[in-house]
Amino acid sequence: MKEKIDQLFENEAQLPKISSVVSKVMEMVGNPDVVIADLAKEISKDPGLTAAVIKLSNSAYFRPAKPVKTVQESLMTLGTKTVKEIILLNETKGILKKELKGYQVDGEANWLHSLIVAELAKRIAVQKKLKVDKDVVFTAGLLHNIGKVILADFFPTVLMQFRTELQNYEGPYTDLEAKFFGYTHQETGAKLLEKWNFPQELIEVARYYTEPEKATQFPELVSIIHIANCIVILGGMGIDIGGLKIPLSSKALQVVGVTEGDLQMYYTLLPEMAKHIEELISV
Amino acid sequence: MLNKDVKIINVGIADIQGGQSPSVIRTTLGSCIGVVFYSPEKKVGAMAHIMLAKDPSGKDSSKNPHKYAETALPELLKRMTELGCNKGEYFARLFGGASMFKGMNSSFLQNIGDLNVSVAKEFLDKEKITLLVEDVGGHEGRTISLYLDDGRILLKKGGFEKYLYKVR
Repeated sequence: MKEKIDQLFENEAQLPKISSVVSKVMEMVGNPDVVIADLAKEISKDPGLTAAVIKLSNSAYFRPAKPVKTVQESLMTLGTKTVKEIILLNETKGILKKELKGYQVDGEANWLHSLIVAELAKRIAVQKKLKVDKDVVFTAGLLHNIGKVILADFFPTVLMQFRTELQNYEGPYTDLEAKFFGYTHQETGAKLLEKWNFPQELIEVARYYTEPEKATQFPELVSIIHIANCIVILGGMGIDIGGLKIPLSSKALQVVGVTEGDLQMYYTLLPEMAKHIEELISV
Repeated sequence: MLNKDVKIINVGIADIQGGQSPSVIRTTLGSCIGVVFYSPEKKVGAMAHIMLAKDPSGKDSSKNPHKYAETALPELLKRMTELGCNKGEYFARLFGGASMFKGMNSSFLQNIGDLNVSVAKEFLDKEKITLLVEDVGGHEGRTISLYLDDGRILLKKGGFEKYLYKVR
């Protein structure tokens, strides 16, 4: 199985892709001296993307101060980083809304899971006043488990055996992925984001979000996404075949400074957050 | 197989939904519990997706009654009345309430599931509603679908799925 996954990564044609306009925009926004007019021109090369940016900019979620009619206005009202967030959201929707059959998660549920982890992670970063970029937190939350999309395709051949083993399995769920596929979905996700030339932060989150103790470069960011994911899974949103088998790391709680009371509050807030992202889910 | 014309009613987190045959009511549960009422005579039923036994702050339950067992369960009874069912005509089934993987050091998160289950049982006892079937606890998430045409429940858990037919 490992060889098949290796082949997939060598023969990129079969991997989920990011459009060239989106990669270009990601790169441009990373440059502090980016000129808004140039950025607007790049986005406008893609009519579908342009329409999505304007539509999402006007949504209740992003609450622009005044109605946005052009990409340039969107960049000026919401800022380049928020527009980058919108673009990634629009681009990854098709990938993350895919049914994860072997994981027993349908497309809508996976999309809701990704968005609500992103939203809760942002909430945690703000509430804990952490020095992490809020937009990066959102994007990291959105993409944390993207590797599942790839491994899901390999499930059919091992599913019966996988399930049987899962029945009496007490260890971390992802050890089973490694055993059956040669890779965990975390490793697979990190490999995919590397292929896309995405920033190192996002790659480290995908790689270590279930074992935040191992994060070396961005431990705060990884810990935030880890905690958000655990709470959302506890709430049943996007809960997969592995159930609740990812332990919540006490180290991560310590790194972010999340208390018992905070956990309770985040969990209780899930329905309100789901409401807040309703418009994003429907795009 | 599910007929194309059958309506699927999704129950969100902290939500209550009811319906009649031939619709299907569905929800996914982690630590939350799904309380299911079904009347085999009238072929109507309702489902509550409850997050916590009690409102920890005491301030939220008036605004969001469906989140907490103490306020959601009376609402679920009311929903059955609205669907034309008297008490005694319907029976209960209970799902969910999983707990966090061992090693969790948050007593709050660890105990949500168990507390949810015990409060729901107390309520059913007090209201004299028979609990027919339960599948609760453990570390697995569950997706439950209530088929209102005959009241069977499709339970998906840990990679497996099975139908539960006991309705009275």
